[in-house]
Amino acid sequence: MSDTALHATAGTDRAPRPRFWHDLSFWGLLPSRLLMGFALILPIFIIAAVSLATRGAHGGFAWDFNLAGYRQILFNEGWTGELEFTPQYLLIITRTFALAGATTLICLVFAVPVAYFISRQPPGRKAVLVYLVTLPFWVSMILRVYAWMIILGKDGTLPRLLETLGFPAGMSFMFNDGATLTAMVYTAMPLMVLPVFASIEKLDGTLIEASHDLYGNRWVTLRRVILPLTAPGIVAGAILVFVPALGAVLEPTLMGGGKQMMMGSLIQLQFGGGRNWPFGAAIAMALMALVMIFLIFTALRAARREALP
Amino acid sequence: MKKYLAATALALCFSTAAQAEGQLNIYAWAESISPALIEKFSKENDVKVNVDSFTSNEDLLTKLQAGSSGYDIATPSQHFLRVMIDQDLIENFGASKLKAYENIEEKWRNQWWDETQDYSIPLAYGTAGFVVNTEQYKGPTDSFKYFFEPEGELKGKIALLSYPDEVIGAAQLYLGVPFCSEDQAEMKKVLDLLMAQKPSVAAYSSDNIASRLASGEVSAHFWWDGDSLRARKAGSPVSLAMTKEGLVGWMDSYVVPKGAPNRDNAVKFIEFMSTLENATEQMNFYSHSSPMKVVQEKVVNTKDTAPELYPEVPITFSRTCSAAAQDLVTRVWTQLLQ
Repeated sequence: MSDTALHATAGTDRAPRPRFWHDLSFWGLLPSRLLMGFALILPIFIIAAVSLATRGAHGGFAWDFNLAGYRQILFNEGWTGELEFTPQYLLIITRTFALAGATTLICLVFAVPVAYFISRQPPGRKAVLVYLVTLPFWVSMILRVYAWMIILGKDGTLPRLLETLGFPAGMSFMFNDGATLTAMVYTAMPLMVLPVFASIEKLDGTLIEASHDLYGNRWVTLRRVILPLTAPGIVAGAILVFVPALGAVLEPTLMGGGKQMMMGSLIQLQFGGGRNWPFGAAIAMALMALVMIFLIFTALRAARREALP
Repeated sequence: MKKYLAATALALCFSTAAQAEGQLNIYAWAESISPALIEKFSKENDVKVNVDSFTSNEDLLTKLQAGSSGYDIATPSQHFLRVMIDQDLIENFGASKLKAYENIEEKWRNQWWDETQDYSIPLAYGTAGFVVNTEQYKGPTDSFKYFFEPEGELKGKIALLSYPDEVIGAAQLYLGVPFCSEDQAEMKKVLDLLMAQKPSVAAYSSDNIASRLASGEVSAHFWWDGDSLRARKAGSPVSLAMTKEGLVGWMDSYVVPKGAPNRDNAVKFIEFMSTLENATEQMNFYSHSSPMKVVQEKVVNTKDTAPELYPEVPITFSRTCSAAAQDLVTRVWTQLLQ
């Protein structure tokens, strides 16, 4: 509290402001603050510290600070023994972003019509449909991915179906980017449908009618009325899908056959077989920095939109 | 509100009290220790045994390095056991003075990974190489050439593990490069070999190997001897290739992580598993070779019924690499999958 504020209240008869520990909301919020502090913020500081530490010979690290972990993202010893620019990690980072972006886009394309459809149902059926969308969350993620392996793999559901339709026998759709993307879209879909549904539901139907009254055709109505009003839900869904997709390990390994590394598997390799914890932590920090940039960018755009009349 | 808090506090007290009696927390390879023996031990000693499993030595090492794992027994392979001793991650539990030590076959005592044999008692050993589905592939398998430089029907039907550890070792055996080489030029040759093989590879995965191979999703998979034996006995048309360049060897041992909360029970369990009778039962369950003395008449997997476990080609055990050599391995693997 500033001095002027103190003077302003000094003359009045008000009781002294209670100490913060007399305040019920302090105690009420304490568990969540502790949870945030110890489970989210502290680990990030530990990772940041490890990324600056010196690696141990067989994993682990020593508190001896340097930037080797970060340097390694761009520059490494080549096969001739000289330090050279190595684009391999940038390639992995780019691939990861492309995969996460594709996942988000496909989810969006499917989620908007689904959410719109659900929001236009009578209340009872709506509840059932929303429940059905959340149903996959009741099953462990690894099982959901395995289910796709059974569907797409050799002698799986889809190849058998195609076989009965006259396609050649013994087909397999596993171990390629399409298989990875299928599983990723499937696991992420509810995270997109639910926020989009929430914002479409709040959409005032009379506004759509008004748009039609003003000779707006379907496309114009979608672009000028529905999309701007549901944008918060779409942005929330996109973030919920995109950010976890950046760290995906399971789908690329199991469905894609692990033939191309993603950032998740690269980080895992550094902490495991690579035994280079500081480098693994440095990549994790880089990933987080990129995510932060993405989030700040979206937040700024949202703020600018709010500011518009 | 207070009532609920009191009830929760009470419940917490009870749950910790219930845990205070004899416990043993084991961290072992998935499905590696006979559940029947664990139950027997649990009943005889009134100890509650919890078993968690890991799927790679790297996972185990990372967990122990992170500290206070809460495990009383772990089962690393030889080259990781050495690291754990050097890094002071496991207890000296005086293994060489136990009865279990007397039951180790003489030739497996006091190896380079634990010269004094104070930190470990071995539990199983075996090899890693490539296994083929004999219905899909009928060609020769007497060399790693057919696996690393596949032609014809094996193209696109090959799978490796998701970790470099034994795979790089096998490539080194094929090329005649020593394990843990620090020579860049030599390791570049390993990378070139794996890069040339990559277009023929369907997957780099350590999960689900049995079904991938049995279903014919792939025709050749990098795998372990005992697993191949188990799959064959379960009716899968698989066969372990006896490659003339040799096979990659491994040996897993019981160790006690530093700060194990139930150290006495851990030692008791190791003694229990190492008696002639129990070592035999364990060997029959795990289907890998046993470095312990066993009751020969009761051994199920004999030379006639399980040739996988009795290779006549040389076996080279994985070594503990220096940081420089390990970096080269990681570099090969990252460039391969970049």
